[in-house]
Amino acid sequence: MPTSDHDELNDINAPIPWMQKLLDSPFILLTLGVMIPMIVYNLWGVIEILLLPVTQ
Amino acid sequence: MSAILPPADRLWYKHPIDRVEWTWIAIALLWCIILFVMMTGWHVWGKQNLSTETYRTTTAQFMEKTQAMVDKYTVRTETEENIPVVAPPPGSDVYLLARLWSFWPILELEKDKTYRLHLTAIDYNHGLSLQPANINIQMVPGFEHVVTVTPNESGTYSLVCNEYCGLGHHRMVSRLYVK
Repeated sequence: MPTSDHDELNDINAPIPWMQKLLDSPFILLTLGVMIPMIVYNLWGVIEILLLPVTQ
Repeated sequence: MSAILPPADRLWYKHPIDRVEWTWIAIALLWCIILFVMMTGWHVWGKQNLSTETYRTTTAQFMEKTQAMVDKYTVRTETEENIPVVAPPPGSDVYLLARLWSFWPILELEKDKTYRLHLTAIDYNHGLSLQPANINIQMVPGFEHVVTVTPNESGTYSLVCNEYCGLGHHRMVSRLYVK
């Protein structure tokens, strides 16, 4: 039995939310899942090395 | 809604989240928080590898300090290479360097006394594995790791290089005495 909720969720003219597009794209998710940790951990490592104090 | 079939609705993202799903999200989040707290807690309560302080250093500077300690506190020499055995006073700074393919010098520490153990490598990357205590620390050229150690059992410990460092890697072993 169609409800108003059901109609709203199946409106063919409504734009698809960007989060839904993202979550439906396995290769974008894979790319983000690899790139974000790679960039963050590399930056973190470089910052750590640059901030190391000189020995006494 | 099934987990293996495509969503029934075109705009599935706007579908209200079921109570069961919220429950699992909460359980997963709670578990993440528990693991996060355990990571730091383990340094205090667990048999975690020792935390190090790290500094920049140079080969010349580190060798100078090590040589000064060796000149002052050598008690005898051991092995065919005449590696000095050094017994520095409790509470002092102790230096140990790694190079192709030996650790230098041999340390003789006192039980239940605290030392600041400084570690570096003077040529390539080496590893320090202290057995059977199973303490493992990288020895990296240009960087100095400082570990505050209090040996709590007397005996002869083995030092093993556990970072592949070339043809003589398998021979790169030494010892550490705790009296």
